Amino acid sequence: MKLSAPAWIALVGLGLATVPFFGLPAFYESFLYLIFSAIVLATSWNILSGYSGYFSFGHGAFFGAGMYTTATLTSKFEIPFLWTLPAAGIIAALLGVGVGAVVFRLRRLRGELFALLTLAVTFVLATIVLNTPIDGGQGVPLTAVTLPAILSSPSSTLYVLGLAMALLTLWIAYSIYLAKLGTGLFAIHDDEDVAEVMGVPTYRYKLIAFGLSCALAGVAGGIHAMFISYVTVGETFSIIVPLNVVLMSVLGGTRHWLGPAVGATVITALLYGFTAGDYPVAGRAAVGLILIVVILFMPEGLLGRFIPRLEGRRRKTTAATPVAAAPAPDAVQASSETLLRINGLSKAFSGVQALDGADVEVRRGEILGLVGPNGSGKSTLINMISGHFRLDSGSIVFDGVDIAGLPAHRVAQAGIARTYQIPRPFAHLSVLQNVTLPAMFGRAALGRGAAESEARYWLEFTGLAEKADALPGELNLHQRKFLELARALASRPRLLLLDEVLSGLTPAEIDHAIATIRTIRDLGATIVFVEHVMHAVMELSDRIVVLNYGKVIAEGKPEEVMRRPEVVTVYLGKPHA
Amino acid sequence: MKLIKKLILSATGVLLGLGLQVAVAAPSGQPIKVGGTLALTGPLSATALIHKLAGEIYVEQLNKKNGLLGRPVEWILKDDQSKPDLARTLYEQLVTVDKVDLLLGPYATGNILSAVGVAQKYQKVLVHHTMGIPSLVKYDMQFPAWSVGYDPATTVTNTLLDALASTTKFPKTIAIVSSKFPSVYMMSVGMREAAKKRGIKEVLFLEWEFGNKDFGPIASRVKDANPDFIFVGAIGLEGNQLLDAMKKIDYVPPMQYFMYPAPGPLAKAPGAERAMAGSIFEQHPPFTNNPLAAEFVKIFNERATKAGLPDNAVETQAAASYSAWQVIEAAVTATKSLDDKVLAAWLKKNKVDTIQGKLRFDGPSNFGDDLLRVKQVQNGHWVVVWPKEWAAPGAKLLTQ
Repeated sequence: MKLSAPAWIALVGLGLATVPFFGLPAFYESFLYLIFSAIVLATSWNILSGYSGYFSFGHGAFFGAGMYTTATLTSKFEIPFLWTLPAAGIIAALLGVGVGAVVFRLRRLRGELFALLTLAVTFVLATIVLNTPIDGGQGVPLTAVTLPAILSSPSSTLYVLGLAMALLTLWIAYSIYLAKLGTGLFAIHDDEDVAEVMGVPTYRYKLIAFGLSCALAGVAGGIHAMFISYVTVGETFSIIVPLNVVLMSVLGGTRHWLGPAVGATVITALLYGFTAGDYPVAGRAAVGLILIVVILFMPEGLLGRFIPRLEGRRRKTTAATPVAAAPAPDAVQASSETLLRINGLSKAFSGVQALDGADVEVRRGEILGLVGPNGSGKSTLINMISGHFRLDSGSIVFDGVDIAGLPAHRVAQAGIARTYQIPRPFAHLSVLQNVTLPAMFGRAALGRGAAESEARYWLEFTGLAEKADALPGELNLHQRKFLELARALASRPRLLLLDEVLSGLTPAEIDHAIATIRTIRDLGATIVFVEHVMHAVMELSDRIVVLNYGKVIAEGKPEEVMRRPEVVTVYLGKPHA
Repeated sequence: MKLIKKLILSATGVLLGLGLQVAVAAPSGQPIKVGGTLALTGPLSATALIHKLAGEIYVEQLNKKNGLLGRPVEWILKDDQSKPDLARTLYEQLVTVDKVDLLLGPYATGNILSAVGVAQKYQKVLVHHTMGIPSLVKYDMQFPAWSVGYDPATTVTNTLLDALASTTKFPKTIAIVSSKFPSVYMMSVGMREAAKKRGIKEVLFLEWEFGNKDFGPIASRVKDANPDFIFVGAIGLEGNQLLDAMKKIDYVPPMQYFMYPAPGPLAKAPGAERAMAGSIFEQHPPFTNNPLAAEFVKIFNERATKAGLPDNAVETQAAASYSAWQVIEAAVTATKSLDDKVLAAWLKKNKVDTIQGKLRFDGPSNFGDDLLRVKQVQNGHWVVVWPKEWAAPGAKLLTQ
């Protein structure tokens, strides 16, 4: 019988819970506690930083917030130790969510800036704690605080609490990993803007992940305060905490729920293995060397290295999941009814007017060709419809609802999907996962199983079924363009925005693509089609809109519009004869 | 008569031979295991290496003179990496896995408190040497070998003010600048109180966070305050950094005291001449009148030089470490026992002769007298100047 991961966690947890009853020297409890504590810290850090790629160097701050919460409540207010632990988690979570609520709104605070900012939070918090009665400079002793005896002795309490926290943290990390939240966080990791456009509520997801991450670190801090029994600012808010946590997670693998736990166990055990007093510096150097070698040769971490191999072996022996007959994106007949109406849309970037009062109407079931020279505002228009850019003025009404100003994920959920001129797949997700994601987060809002089935249907449709398990980096440009198409279709959109899907393709590939788009149109999809390949535009479009300098200069049937003098002028220049 | 003489001489020779044999007999049997940790790596490692060297010398000497109770002594030393959580776990290992007979404390307050928790759990005696905040330890079988009294914030600062009062230039104004490192900050706060009681006007009180590297603004504030005396609550090289900053603005304070400096580098620093600090031991008479101390100083100087320590002199740290071993040896030898309760009972009732002086453990939390003396940089070397009975021959506290 094959056990699930939660069953394994429970089984291992039960086994470890019996350790205090074996009569082993108490050292083993103490040593295992250190591992549990490291597991909680590394795994909780990974929930935000590993999954979503927001590298935090502030985990020491949240761990420290928990330590000082417990230290203060137990020593100054005489609140029983166990009661302080939820408070430690809540205080740390509130701190994290408070920071995140501001930071996550600002696009420029991604990457290294986020790391530096969270590090700054550590220093600010340390300064506050040090210069207020919370610590005041002399540390907080907890030697007089009573530790309840949950099992055989008070010290077993710390062991059991450490174990319980490690198991809880692993279970949470595992649940998130498999849940919609985890999928969304991994998408944020690879390309946050695209994730948002595909329907992932990025801001909310990051906040949830940060809050959970901080809460777990806070509770671990509360327990640890009692373990060391004397809390000082210098040791609590040291840079060593986040550095160790990052190292542990990277070593184990940040893209797997169990990776940080493996890294935490290995590093804690290695460091402990070199505590003999004879050659301490050499021991530390050896640990450093081992870590450097592992990270150099396994940049994806231990689990990142070995789990895909195991999964690859398993896949070879598993029958392919049957492909469901997925419905068309939005099977309706072409009509004169307006699906999208854009009025007076304007957008300027640093004084450059990209769109200047554009009016565009998209009718249900049609293919609308959007043409114009480079810089005419076509891609800007697509970006604004999909919610990627905020408009300066005007309105965008989709199926009777004004969607201007809505966050991109709400636009996606309303039924608008898009492709990118330069494909932007999620680099670390497989082709199948790339297509499954919009089926989960877009208008279709399917569960994981149904979404995967839907994804397989569209991979079959776009000829990518054989590549389902490949990473996007293994695809050629043609295949990547079709991956974009499959992702957009999998969300079952009511309006499909295709941004230069044919650019860069060979003539044979263009013919294939035109045939595919025609099939999509035949399924009844409504398509806005931005393209420079004019024969494709003429062949596919029911109507075309011509943009120049951000203004609509012509609109109507393709043959008629392309004959208009102003359009000819835009494309060929003014005659001088 | 000749025969009797021969017999007497022979008998004497045999007895002397036996006696000598006893005196140099190598210890035998199962070794007595003394366990402890030091911060051999991590931020506290610079000072902990001094303790390692002192301990190694002591154990070597001990084993040369028949060990403890005739058994060799084995020091099981582990590296707590300057982390209290690791210290706690290592002490658990020493007690429950390595089954050590006796415990020696780690370096620094936080780690000592972790070790005390374990010692208390297993009812083991713990002799420690660098506890900075005595009021934090409540366990009745822990014994401090760094004898600074139970309330050093009061006693140490008053010793200093007594020393200053012995000169003709008792300060009228004081500036207190302090790191917020717990044990140092406690002393700085104590200095405020002590100065107030002696009628010294506090013209400046400034704090910085441990780890601060920018002492320029602090130096400027001190210069502006123009005090008669500066109490510098600095730890390690912070004192040197402040001196450098004061030198850059051409300021030489009239009198200055450094709480826990890095003694070697401070003595050699420009502007440090006549700077004061606390010490329990310096390698000059009357401390070195004790033959044990003299021998220890000689060996330590050689080993420290060989080990490449920045300062090879024996002072507070090495002396505290050596004293801790002396406390253990005295208790075991006197009681002929390794029983923790027996050892603790003896220590509470008896004084122990150490190279820093006589230690007693009958005060609150087993702390006895405050033996921290005042030393001063004179001609580039530290010499104890107060109290007079511990001053270097001919030395007295010099003022500007």
